[in-house]
Amino acid sequence: MLINYIKIAWKVLLRHPFYTFITLFGISLTLTVLMVLTSFLDHLFGSHYPENKRFRTLYIAMVLQTDSAKTSMSSGPASFRFLEKYAKSLKTPENVAVVSNFSFSNTYVNGKRIKLNTKYTDVAFWEVADFEFLEGKPYNEQNIKNGDHVAVITDDLRDQYFEPGAQAVGKFIDIENINYRVIGVVKGSPATRLYTYGDVYFPYTAPKSNYENKSIRGSYIAMVLAKTIDDVPAIQAEFDNAISRIPKDEIRDGGHFTVLTVKALKYFDHFLDTFARDDSQKVFFYSIGALILVMIMGLPAINLVNVNVSRILERASEIGVRKAFGAPAKALLWQFIIENIFITFIGGLFALILSFVIISMINSSGWIAYADLTINFTVFLVSIFICLIFGFLSGVLPAFRMSKLKIVDALKS
Amino acid sequence: MLRHLFKLIWNKKGSHSLLIIEIWASFMVLFGVLSLIVYNVSNYVQPIGFEYERVWNLQLSNNQDTVGVSDKMHRIVQQIKSNKEVESLSRMSSNSPFSANQMMNGVTYKKVSISPEFFYTDENFSKTLGLPVVAGKWFTESDRVSKFTPIVINSKLKEVLFANENPLGKVIKVDDKKSFKVVGLVDKFKSKGEFASDSPALFEMLSKDDTWSTNVLIKTKAGVDANFEAKLVKEVAATLPGWGIEVSYLTEQRKNRHNLTLVPVTIFLIVSGFLLTNVALGLFGILNLNIAKRKNEIGLRRAMGATESGVTTQFLGEIWVLAALSVLIGLLFAIQFPIIHVFDMKANIYITAIVIAIVLIFIIVTLCAWWPSRQASRIHPAIALHEE
Repeated sequence: MLINYIKIAWKVLLRHPFYTFITLFGISLTLTVLMVLTSFLDHLFGSHYPENKRFRTLYIAMVLQTDSAKTSMSSGPASFRFLEKYAKSLKTPENVAVVSNFSFSNTYVNGKRIKLNTKYTDVAFWEVADFEFLEGKPYNEQNIKNGDHVAVITDDLRDQYFEPGAQAVGKFIDIENINYRVIGVVKGSPATRLYTYGDVYFPYTAPKSNYENKSIRGSYIAMVLAKTIDDVPAIQAEFDNAISRIPKDEIRDGGHFTVLTVKALKYFDHFLDTFARDDSQKVFFYSIGALILVMIMGLPAINLVNVNVSRILERASEIGVRKAFGAPAKALLWQFIIENIFITFIGGLFALILSFVIISMINSSGWIAYADLTINFTVFLVSIFICLIFGFLSGVLPAFRMSKLKIVDALKS
Repeated sequence: MLRHLFKLIWNKKGSHSLLIIEIWASFMVLFGVLSLIVYNVSNYVQPIGFEYERVWNLQLSNNQDTVGVSDKMHRIVQQIKSNKEVESLSRMSSNSPFSANQMMNGVTYKKVSISPEFFYTDENFSKTLGLPVVAGKWFTESDRVSKFTPIVINSKLKEVLFANENPLGKVIKVDDKKSFKVVGLVDKFKSKGEFASDSPALFEMLSKDDTWSTNVLIKTKAGVDANFEAKLVKEVAATLPGWGIEVSYLTEQRKNRHNLTLVPVTIFLIVSGFLLTNVALGLFGILNLNIAKRKNEIGLRRAMGATESGVTTQFLGEIWVLAALSVLIGLLFAIQFPIIHVFDMKANIYITAIVIAIVLIFIIVTLCAWWPSRQASRIHPAIALHEE
């Protein structure tokens, strides 16, 4: 039976290539847009190299200071000392890394300037983030203690500063008139992973890291790695508890702010938190996102339904004949639904190929350095699910109307 | 004629309602994207007001060195100035042109309050950035008299604070110890790049013991390259050990700044372009089918003496009425934006976007309806009636 339906569907598709093209164009295009979008969001928020453990990592990235009346406020990353005292001391997590927010520098080689993103990290950073070491190793507690001038660089910087592919470990790199010994080379990470992206990584005791800073605010963030994802609420509770016990004098920090808000949040929540501080803003944010999604999906869906409704009348005579021979409305309904799902899956296949082409184009264009967008399993499942919704949306309504048609009317035309 | 068209549409309101929804949704998408584009284009056509070619931005940070920062800054400025490659240089606060930093403070004059962007800088600023002074002059050290700090304002700020009065020599009181005295007026200063709007700006003269403004803008002579840059960094690093040094070119920073606007706009344009192509193709298909179904009606009209152009106009007219209905519904939504000033944009931007969206919708539906209508008008009455 199913084979028969699919055979009919195939014949119908070939009868009017132009309408088939319109339908397939709509389906594959919408799905492509959605798949590239989900792939991009997955790239931004999912767990990928080098933050492979992001799904069980909490980020302490922002300290919000307000006065008691909440009229003025100031926010930004915390200081190293603050995080060492309140994040490093947490008992529940597996590990806590403290790393500086992005900072910039330049280095010069053969009259050419290389822009550098610099990062100051502790030793735990190399355990929380899974960097792949092409050669050498990360710095250890001993390097930190001695304040050694050592650095871990990325393969990209190695290729620019030394020879492409040359061995770099043991060589020196001159940054702002200080010579750092290269002790490791890692595979670089995409610039979209804000807290692990860098060109050169220094131990936090290296010059210019400002780790001595005594105030609450500074330029460091903490990555708190939970043992399992179930530990997350416990860690948040422990951290909130530690923060709530900070004495008033310390919060005041010589300024006029008396209220301190710091939270350990999952990556997406912490990202949202920087845009929307309170719940009403979050609702606004979500509704804007939903609106855009509805527009992207809704327009082609209405279009599809429209084309289908117009086209299905073409087949009135076929329906009339089937009904006259005793086919129940239910059987007809199923035929049209299956037909629509069939065409949607063909569109889905085109979309898969198209998104694959677009994604590999984005990856190779250098638009995002080290971009690693993939059509992964989740993205594929989501799009198959969306395929089905589309099939029903554009299949059920016209088919339902059609199967209710009186035999006489259907046969007349 | 129009009443007749309405009647025709009303009779088939069921199947037309989906079409109306489709055109309405396209209108809303067009309106959204066009508002964004009109806003950015209207900003872009306004000149930026200053010159950024050959200007380098040297960002220093004193890190843990807190002893005698202002003296060290004076010394380093003198030292850089002594290089023959440097044409002019100026210290300024961290909100240098094209940077992401902003500094807003409130000022009040005769009960009018506003928060302009504050730029703390020195006497060489207008020369270094080629920022022309349209009235008065740029401040110099001699303008600082007791508690009066000389400032220069831009014309946007002048409009708000002083309206039609001459701003030169006016005094704005800050507190008991400090007052601003306006010594000059510049026209435009869009420090966030071409796509930013021209917003109120105030240039305050750096105090002698300032320790916060550690940016140095350096205008280099033509033909100066990265070799001098490397030498400069080495020099500064030797004089100021422990300080952070970062050099960037304003031309580069401007490009990055532009990408912040251009990338999202391009993505929106591509997505909505595909959406509208989709809609246009769909409309074309639907109209083609609908007209094919009405063959006998067309045959009858032709037999009764209607001309070819008469039939074409009827079908075009029908789709225009449909489009007008959808646009009317869309207008109910779109008109809310200029009325309640969503996203703080000017009303005329939304109005322009609405007008362009309406024109585009009508162009699209006309293009889609043209071919099917022509086809319909060519139907021979004899054939059409024979089929019946």
